[in-house]
Amino acid sequence: METWVIATGLIFLYLLLTIVVGVVANRRLTVDMEDFLLYGRKAGFIVLYLTVVATFHSAFAFLGSGGFFYTHGVGFWAAGTWTLVVGAITYVLGPRIWALGKAFGYITPADMLADFYESEAVRVVVAVVSVLFTILYIQVQAQGLGYIINVASGGRISFELGTFILLAVAAAYLMAGGLRAVYWTDVVQGIWMYLAVWVGALVLSYELFGGPLALWRSVAAERPDLLSLPGPHGFFTPGMWIGMTVALSFGIIFQPHMMIRYYTAIDGRTLKVLGATTPIYLMTLYIPAALVGLGGAVAMPGLDVPDRIFPELLFAHASPWVTGAILAGATAAAMSTLDSILHANMTVLTRDVYQRYVAKDRSQAHYVAVGRAIVVGLLVVGYLLSVRTYEFLVVLVTLSGAGALQLMPAIVGVCFPGRRVLTRAGVLAGIGAGLAGLYVTLVLVPHPMGVHGAVWSLLVNAAVALNVSTMSTPPSPQTIERVHGEVERYVYGTEA
Amino acid sequence: MDAPGRRSHLIPRTRDGRIATTAFLAVLLLAMPPLTHTLWNRIDPWIGGLPFLYAVLLAVYVALTAVLLWALKRGV
Repeated sequence: METWVIATGLIFLYLLLTIVVGVVANRRLTVDMEDFLLYGRKAGFIVLYLTVVATFHSAFAFLGSGGFFYTHGVGFWAAGTWTLVVGAITYVLGPRIWALGKAFGYITPADMLADFYESEAVRVVVAVVSVLFTILYIQVQAQGLGYIINVASGGRISFELGTFILLAVAAAYLMAGGLRAVYWTDVVQGIWMYLAVWVGALVLSYELFGGPLALWRSVAAERPDLLSLPGPHGFFTPGMWIGMTVALSFGIIFQPHMMIRYYTAIDGRTLKVLGATTPIYLMTLYIPAALVGLGGAVAMPGLDVPDRIFPELLFAHASPWVTGAILAGATAAAMSTLDSILHANMTVLTRDVYQRYVAKDRSQAHYVAVGRAIVVGLLVVGYLLSVRTYEFLVVLVTLSGAGALQLMPAIVGVCFPGRRVLTRAGVLAGIGAGLAGLYVTLVLVPHPMGVHGAVWSLLVNAAVALNVSTMSTPPSPQTIERVHGEVERYVYGTEA
Repeated sequence: MDAPGRRSHLIPRTRDGRIATTAFLAVLLLAMPPLTHTLWNRIDPWIGGLPFLYAVLLAVYVALTAVLLWALKRGV
């Protein structure tokens, strides 16, 4: 049997499995917004662990990271840094967000920020930032899916058709089972993608070099420029290293599809365990990615699209069954992030826009139905964005992360009571200044002085937020006491 | 606005909290410039069959994970 038949067949088998999971999740669904949007706030450790890691790692981990090692060398091992920072953020911030969500019924990030800063303007701005920058992320995942199925089928299924099929499947099981379907499919996807990337990298390293250690020796002998910083094209300057660490840790955690996961935990302790242990999965996934990218640079130099190095190597050097199983794993990586982003955008648009401003007092079933309709709209938007632009995957992820990063001062202001309190004017001015700074430092003058635009924009945001807050009206003492008092009670078990 | 009545959450209040925070930040600095781009930025000597920069960073990442697990164990 030809390789493309097996590879494509396994991907479709995997898709069938996700649809079955979605149908089963649908049978457990109750017509209730918290159940549909937040898994009823009952997610235990294993489910939450696998959904967080599967969501964090996307097409980017499977394709973009291999491509980055291929092009820029060992500098991409900085990825380990940001995965550890993600763990620390989850450990420290996750339980606080969970406690506030549980106490005050928050469903979206905007719920929390609008409540504390007593501002509908904050709600709207946060919702817009959340949706705007994560739609870019839908594009990244959908393009990754299009690449995978196009390569797996040997070009027989076009990029556009492949993108549509996979987007439609993700949307279908999301509409059927809500966040429960997303979480359950993420469990499958998280296990499959981890095994796939490790097995693929090991198979290739033994096939091409005689093992991982021999692979490193070959890279050192033939491409030593890939084993030092800043890399062959000078990309990994100190400023970029720090900037990518900030953008791809804080910036991704503050995206709604990650933050919403904190609300869904069964308790705060689960999030602490999650924070301490997720880096093990997240970081070690980049070990095989390095083998693929660096080994690929030696074995298959000169690829026009470096992101394709993993599938290209598999097709050239691995058995059809291994190739198919691993490409299905790559599909899992992209879909697990895509479904979460679709869900988060649906949640934000249903809760922060529709329920708040269009139809306030409708039944739970009505809002669930509207959420499903919104998924269809997102599917169309995501598809159109995906087939019209072709950008390098990692750059897009970085831009998306840097956008959500602008929520950081506002979120820290809620979750970390301090001697100074940010105000609604300060937060809004900070987000505005940060987004303007982002445009300047990522688009007009990319990465000034070798420092990533994410760092510049965050510095501008924080400075403006703090300064404007000193001269504007704070939230009422009652709100500060209610929210910060809840954090104080949860973290330290005491009043101020 | 100042909120003088409440103690800041940005500074750990317990001994274990201070140790965990300091240790995490100190070890994290080992995986940051300037060390990454100066002292660690070499291929030789190889450690365990891995080039120096890669191996050092792997060790730092393991240490950071250990700090998080220690904090969890101590209930920080």
